[in-house]
Amino acid sequence: MATSGNKNMNAKLVLLGDVGAGKSSLVLRFVKGQFIEFQESTIGAAFFSQTVAVNDATVKFEIWDTAGQERYHSLAPMYYRGAAAAIIVFDITNQASFDRAKKWVQELQAQGNPNMVMALAGNKADLLDARKVAAEEAQTYAQENGLFFMETSAKTASNVNDIFYEIANRLPRLQPAQNPSGMVLMDRPAQTPASASCCS
Amino acid sequence: MPSDAELSDNDRKPKIGPSSNSIDQSLDAIENQLSSISVSQPESEPEFDDANDASPSNQDKLANGSLNENPGAEELPRSNVVEDFSSSSLMWRNNSEEMEAPSSPSSSGYAGERGSSNASSRASGIEEEVDGEILEIGNSDSFDGVSDSQVQWLPGKRHSSEVSPTEATEKDDASISWRKRKKHFFVLSNSGKPIYSRYGDEHKLAGFSATLQAIISFVENGGDRVNLVRAGKHQVVFLVKGPIYLVCISCTEESYQSLRVQLELLYGQMILILTKSVNRCFEKNSKFDMTPLLGGTDVVFSSLIHSFSWNPASFLHAYTCLPLAYATRQAAGAILQDVADSGVLFAILMCKHKVISLVGAQKASLHPDDMLLLSNFVMSSESFRTSESFSPICLPRYNPMAFLHAYVQYLDVDTYLILLTTSSDAFHHLKDCRVRIEEVLLESNVLGEAQRSMVDGGMRVEDLPTDHGSLSGAVSPHLGQPGHTRESSDRFSEAFIGVGGPAGLWHFMYRSIYLDQYVSSEFSSPVNNRQQQKRLYRAYQKLYASMHDKGVGPHKTQFRRDENYVLLCWVTQDFELYAAFDPLADKALAIKTCNRVCQWIKNIENEIFLLGVSPFSW
Repeated sequence: MATSGNKNMNAKLVLLGDVGAGKSSLVLRFVKGQFIEFQESTIGAAFFSQTVAVNDATVKFEIWDTAGQERYHSLAPMYYRGAAAAIIVFDITNQASFDRAKKWVQELQAQGNPNMVMALAGNKADLLDARKVAAEEAQTYAQENGLFFMETSAKTASNVNDIFYEIANRLPRLQPAQNPSGMVLMDRPAQTPASASCCS
Repeated sequence: MPSDAELSDNDRKPKIGPSSNSIDQSLDAIENQLSSISVSQPESEPEFDDANDASPSNQDKLANGSLNENPGAEELPRSNVVEDFSSSSLMWRNNSEEMEAPSSPSSSGYAGERGSSNASSRASGIEEEVDGEILEIGNSDSFDGVSDSQVQWLPGKRHSSEVSPTEATEKDDASISWRKRKKHFFVLSNSGKPIYSRYGDEHKLAGFSATLQAIISFVENGGDRVNLVRAGKHQVVFLVKGPIYLVCISCTEESYQSLRVQLELLYGQMILILTKSVNRCFEKNSKFDMTPLLGGTDVVFSSLIHSFSWNPASFLHAYTCLPLAYATRQAAGAILQDVADSGVLFAILMCKHKVISLVGAQKASLHPDDMLLLSNFVMSSESFRTSESFSPICLPRYNPMAFLHAYVQYLDVDTYLILLTTSSDAFHHLKDCRVRIEEVLLESNVLGEAQRSMVDGGMRVEDLPTDHGSLSGAVSPHLGQPGHTRESSDRFSEAFIGVGGPAGLWHFMYRSIYLDQYVSSEFSSPVNNRQQQKRLYRAYQKLYASMHDKGVGPHKTQFRRDENYVLLCWVTQDFELYAAFDPLADKALAIKTCNRVCQWIKNIENEIFLLGVSPFSW
């Protein structure tokens, strides 16, 4: 959840998406300005933080870069619980990853924080020749489901910072002052199983 | 007493062979095909270590000197293995086609993929596929001439006629390079679905997996269990873990016990990633495909399998510590203890595969095998190096059913901190803990000392104190010298060439039984390349297996001489010592030297072991 001071706020942000969609690459590009062609699979979830300035306030993103592997799906709530924002990432050259992204959107709509800012990122936009998911299709889907959509490329850095800034821009509007403490980080829903197993 | 190992091996073949039931025949066929491969592939790459493993022809076993307590201590690794096999021999009284029958219900999903559906073609498929694991044999055959030459010519034709030309891709069991691998590991489900293969593409090995499944379920249907099949130089070792089958096919001359332990570890690694609750998936759907659940973990398994040939922890069931001054390790332990008191289950600080310090919450104990699997998991997964991570992991010896949550952060290039907790909400707390720990470690220069120790390496045989007079003052003079560390697995350097220790001492390993820790000397000349190190490692492994053989052991001492080494093993209530000497070493001197090694270790034990707050009292 976003924690706002006067001009500074912390925002938990989670990245979700299929294996190999480029979640880690997006984060590494955003946080470290790096790109690795053969990024290793994430294990569990990696944590990053990065602060951005929006207008005259700053937003400190606490970013959970989750693993796309199937075995971690049932554990995803642990990471998106209480998140103020989510980026659902798919690979524009892989239709299955777009389908998977839609499932994540559904899950977040059902289980996530209702005020969550959701972004849909069509990653690997540099690979135009291999495109399998039309930009219009994703755009339409995003509009219908209350997300905003951008095509990104972690490789060329295209739109990477933009998507995070856009999220930062949208955050305060969605965070009315009624929840100033924002200490919901530890506030887990009771129905969540205590010890999750890999494939329950 | 020459040649017992090889002789017994040869003796055994007739024993199995003439009993003329069909499995034996198919084993013969397998063996024949193996040989045929060696004929058709005479240029097979040489791997010296294994060839030499196979040659304890002039071994000389004695127990003597100050060590002698049990002169009967000798290796007899294989005979009981044969019993495993022969105990089920009654069940094997079928021909190949019948053998296929019990498997057909569950493997039906695969017969189709394989494109063969009638019984007889499947039966020949079994032979053909079982020969698939076959690795090269030609180069290491010099020791069992008779049995092998006798089968060599025959199957050459059969082999060529049976291998389907359509399968000649690189990634499956038909490829020559795949067959030439010396050591295969397979994991499959009890319906025959491939889960993991060390070499090749699991999915293309569906037919091969189905064959393995057929063999296992055939024996199981007879109310028995197959543990080992021996086919010429190859051993096929089976391990059944509920719905998951693990198989190792090896021609490395490692003992059955060693290979079985390796399969157990492989299974443990899988449990570490998935928990044992994965079994439920098979209860719901017997055809469940487990490969997606293990996506991206190939490197974890291949790194574990690699450790089987360099990391003594994989058979000693002990961990090793980074040599550090007592005060340094105490400083690290104190801050970890502090953290553990705040609700962390285990706090582990490691430098590569060596422990700097570790602490468990009250009554929580960590098994050395779990430590091996955990550190392997962390070190082999590149993603942990990128940032701090919070990941579910399961410690199979602690609780195979439940996930713990691991906070992992690298503090420098080699040193990493693992904090384990039962709470999935504890990330921010663990992150704060890490900040505190890191501060203290930097303040007390633990990280700097650890780096220095990594560079300096551990105990060197050259530094073995010469006599009792100098012992008292000989507290780790070696720890300050430059040289290569025993990280031979990934960065062997020739920078330091030792000359060997006194009395021809080349190397030693010492395992403290109470501490569950071992210490191993640096490699020195002439054991200074990877091949030789692997060979010595395998020799130790064999020695360990023979000393712990349940049928005849436990033993107290063993002295063995072959053309490669003198190996000396000494087991007491407190420790186990394994030492390798020059093959010409004098026995009495060697024994005396071992006593000095033990004394030396005792003198510096607070630098090389983690003492005191041991959570390992289990």
